[in-house]
Amino acid sequence: MTGRQRKQFWNAIQIILILIAAGIMIIPIIWIFLAAFKSHVDVYQLKLFFSPTLENFSTVFQSPYDLGHKLFNSTVVAGVTVLFAIPIATLAAYSFSRFRLRGETTLLVMILATQFVPAVVIVLPFFVMFRDIGLLDTRTGLILVNLAIVMPFAIWMIKGFIDGIPIDTEEAAMVDGSTRLQVIWNIVLPMAAPGLFTAGIFCFIIAWNEFLFALILTNKNAVTLPIGLALFKAEEGDLWNLLSAAGIIIMLPMFILALTIRRYFVQGMTMGAVR
Amino acid sequence: MQDKRLKYLLVVPAVLVVFATAIWPLIDSLRLSFTVGRLTRPNFPQAYIGLENYNWAFFDEPAFWNSVTVTSIYTIVTVALTTLIALGLAMLLAPGGRLRSGVQTLLILPFAMSPALIGVSFRFMFNPEFGLFDAFFGLLFPPLADISWLSDPVLAFVVCVIADVWGWIPFLTLVLIGGLASIPRDTIEAAQVDGAGGWRVFKDVTLPQLMPVLAVVLILKAIFSLKTFDQVYMLTNGGPGTATQTLSHYIYFNGFKYGQIGYSASVAWLMVIPMLVLTYFYAKFVFRKD
Repeated sequence: MTGRQRKQFWNAIQIILILIAAGIMIIPIIWIFLAAFKSHVDVYQLKLFFSPTLENFSTVFQSPYDLGHKLFNSTVVAGVTVLFAIPIATLAAYSFSRFRLRGETTLLVMILATQFVPAVVIVLPFFVMFRDIGLLDTRTGLILVNLAIVMPFAIWMIKGFIDGIPIDTEEAAMVDGSTRLQVIWNIVLPMAAPGLFTAGIFCFIIAWNEFLFALILTNKNAVTLPIGLALFKAEEGDLWNLLSAAGIIIMLPMFILALTIRRYFVQGMTMGAVR
Repeated sequence: MQDKRLKYLLVVPAVLVVFATAIWPLIDSLRLSFTVGRLTRPNFPQAYIGLENYNWAFFDEPAFWNSVTVTSIYTIVTVALTTLIALGLAMLLAPGGRLRSGVQTLLILPFAMSPALIGVSFRFMFNPEFGLFDAFFGLLFPPLADISWLSDPVLAFVVCVIADVWGWIPFLTLVLIGGLASIPRDTIEAAQVDGAGGWRVFKDVTLPQLMPVLAVVLILKAIFSLKTFDQVYMLTNGGPGTATQTLSHYIYFNGFKYGQIGYSASVAWLMVIPMLVLTYFYAKFVFRKD
């Protein structure tokens, strides 16, 4: 083989490997999408061609499944969690980014560390406390514990964004007589807005997909979508067509949100360790 | 207001939230771990018994050691497999171009999927009668056709590992692509000019420069592997028997199925310790740049 042929050969091998990898990644997702449109009979066969139906999507919203209620809970819990987390995190992130605080490194490491504490450790005392004060199976309770997982991400992510904003404009405004809070409101917030939006979406996805807290702390009124998946079990086994329809309702909105912030996903997940 | 005071005021709400939602439960779990905390009985927690729960876990509970073994093997296997495959995939995708960036975008999708849903999906894919992966493996190795994957202790574990690796490869790949992109091109080109082959360039030039990012990825993946719960709960619920019972699942089961909060808090705290060690190393990498 000449050098050029060899290069072409390797290129072909690479493209084949990439296509196989892409296939492995996407096929389970496509399979779920197909299954959601299959009838009760077709889903129990390995059929690629079938007459599609929308029936599953209407069934999951009816009793006894009532997915609409879970959809509502998930939206409220994830939404309110983000509405609390982002402003609080932004204030802290600004301070961490722009000032030297006593014990700053210790605080930042502690915030980072809380992210790595197993959720099952955090949920034990919360379960006992919620049981005593009547917050079990409420959206309020779930929002409270969700803040635990979302806050560290939000603080670190937003700090990263503010670190990237040049400090000159702020200093100029201070010289012109603006107060620090005016500077934050008038200059930093507009410039950091895309970053805050990104962090918000990121935290929304995390809260939306959260499973363990919801499994332990809710059982009826405040049940979220991922827990709702457990509903689709009948005596004859899993109802795969309904499960798939519910799966789409859980994952499709997150796919769309994730694609809008794809550039920042890695930075968010590693909390600044990889930029 | 002066910056001197304001800078502390700005962090107060966030620090309060972190303390209330993470530090307090951590400390309270430690307190509960010294108690007989039975959920079903009145006057919770019933009594303080010192280190009795830890004794129980260490010396009287084979199930605890079983979950330690399961979690350890699970962590080692998933970290190794995910990192190796992601490194290969990152090398393949890093050069860019239309196909490669398209696949990079595709990688976001599994990553935005709820782990619980990944668990459900893989139960579906490995169903012995109509599972797509079951059919595929059956074609490759006929003895595996129509096998009941999740009823076999070893195969159930394998399926859990496959689901985990599938869910984490995209993230690790994207991180490593970022790492590869930050390696200066000229160091690689210089090695090529010196006549080094593809493998030599990778081993002597690329890999050493990728090390910091690789270390971050390894630690992060190890932390998340140790914590694994969602997928396992949905896939096997720890079974068959306790063949796939991870530590998180063991804690969940003792705490909320048997109502032994005190005991499960002690096991939970045993789990916090390796986490703190890993977090320490992780923090070292985060602050390396400053």
